[in-house]
Amino acid sequence: MLLQIEKISKSFGGVHALVDFSLSMDRAKIIGIIGPNGAGKTTLFNVISGVYPPDKGKIYLNDKDISGKEQFIITRAGIARTFQNIRLFTGLSVIDNVMCAFDPTSRYGIFGGLFPTPMRIREEKRGHKLSEDYLQLVDLLKYRDEKPENLPYGLQRRLEIARALACKPKILLLDEPAAGLNPKEVSDLMELIHRIRDERGLGILVIEHRLELVMGLSEEIYVLDFGHTIAIGSPSEIKSNPAVIKAYLGEEECN
Amino acid sequence: MELYLSVFTFALISVVSVCGIYVLTGLTGMFSLGQASFMAIGAYISGVLVVRLNMPFWPATIIAVLVSIMIGFIVGLPTVRLRRDYISLVTLGFGEAITALLNQSVQITGGAMGFSGIPQKTNFALVIISVIISITLVAFLKISKYGRQCIALKSDELAAKAMGIDVPKMKMIAFLLSVGLTAYSGVLYAFYTTYVDPSMFGWRKSAEWVIMVFFGGVNSLTGSIIATLLLSALPEMLRFASEYRMFFYSVLVLLIINFKPSGLFEEFELSPAFIAKLFKKGNKNGVINATTDRKNQ
Repeated sequence: MLLQIEKISKSFGGVHALVDFSLSMDRAKIIGIIGPNGAGKTTLFNVISGVYPPDKGKIYLNDKDISGKEQFIITRAGIARTFQNIRLFTGLSVIDNVMCAFDPTSRYGIFGGLFPTPMRIREEKRGHKLSEDYLQLVDLLKYRDEKPENLPYGLQRRLEIARALACKPKILLLDEPAAGLNPKEVSDLMELIHRIRDERGLGILVIEHRLELVMGLSEEIYVLDFGHTIAIGSPSEIKSNPAVIKAYLGEEECN
Repeated sequence: MELYLSVFTFALISVVSVCGIYVLTGLTGMFSLGQASFMAIGAYISGVLVVRLNMPFWPATIIAVLVSIMIGFIVGLPTVRLRRDYISLVTLGFGEAITALLNQSVQITGGAMGFSGIPQKTNFALVIISVIISITLVAFLKISKYGRQCIALKSDELAAKAMGIDVPKMKMIAFLLSVGLTAYSGVLYAFYTTYVDPSMFGWRKSAEWVIMVFFGGVNSLTGSIIATLLLSALPEMLRFASEYRMFFYSVLVLLIINFKPSGLFEEFELSPAFIAKLFKKGNKNGVINATTDRKNQ
């Protein structure tokens, strides 16, 4: 089992943000997670990626228990993520942003940090090559020396994906990757996510508000409402599920 | 002449500590208000070893720096897991405690009367060599994986953790490097002046270093160093204005911080690449090549 989540719950004070959520992913596929605002989607991602530990429940990655581990350890174990509100490193160039994801596993010590040892030069070269590959994948190589904050929004989102990929994950968590994108950028993004799954063999969890994107991408969809999982199924099953329409689509129509 | 040389030497000794502050504040975004106490620890330990135990200069220096780093580790341990601003409070308290301790231990350190009789081992050449080495090490650190990870965690700690960066460890490395450099500058200082007293190493000194880094540009090592030379020499250059020189000094710092919040040099670095570009400037082909190269990419 690639990813197995068993009955995780998380409360903040009296608010049950996530209740008994379970999920299993046996092979690399794309799973969509939808739900109205405040349904607990981002909480789910924060618990999986270790921002805070679950109150109860277990998370297994490749049958290894990673629940409650520290964030950077979970990332190194193979779960990388992007953020709903873009969180790029503003003090670093585009390529250095990607390099940062490679650096924690780069094989030179503090001595190499102070002197240009042969090992350091070799590892820096390897990191640069890898980072360029990831930038190429998301079509950002020509902006390699720009500052990330100067890129248009859509490209910043792509850079976040490249940076997450550079962590060499087995599971990629995308938190609203299409927020703020125009229709053209959304279709480019869908194509990119498909390509990542096919070429890199990653399991992908996507939180998304845009239904056309979720329906078009996901092989399986989980619907959350007030922390509870109210439906699981293929896109067509979800579309016709009355509970989902009531909780999610119904609310959208009211607006 | 003698006076100018000594002013310049003191400024250069400050550059060594500011290199450390740059790693801590510039790269990692942590503020220490007790960094001068590590200068005191370096100065006093080396001084005591040489004067009271007749140890040669270099072994005493190495012991002083290593002991400072060990003390730094203990001070840093509880703070690196907390939010970055806590380190200011902890170091401030620690710094004042060290000053009090030095004042109290009269038999060993001479207390508030100061510790004198240190042989003069630091000369201008040693200071210049130390400055060059410190700057080179920090410049290499900035463009290494450590520098990148420090800048990353300064910019966004949560995202840094999500990229697999061990944030507490990175902060500790930055803090200890900074402590090491500051302690070493303390040794240079003690063996140049031949006299130290606890009041030289209060929080004002630490704050002064932070001001220097911000004045020159918190993201620029070049800027921090030039600002240090400038601001260390300024009070001496303003000697003619006697009473008013601190006033001028403060006004200048306020002006810069207000109108150029990212410092004099912002993110500029005097890197080999920049120097190469300077020489190419007159060469038209070079410029054209550079622009077409960009288009081709």
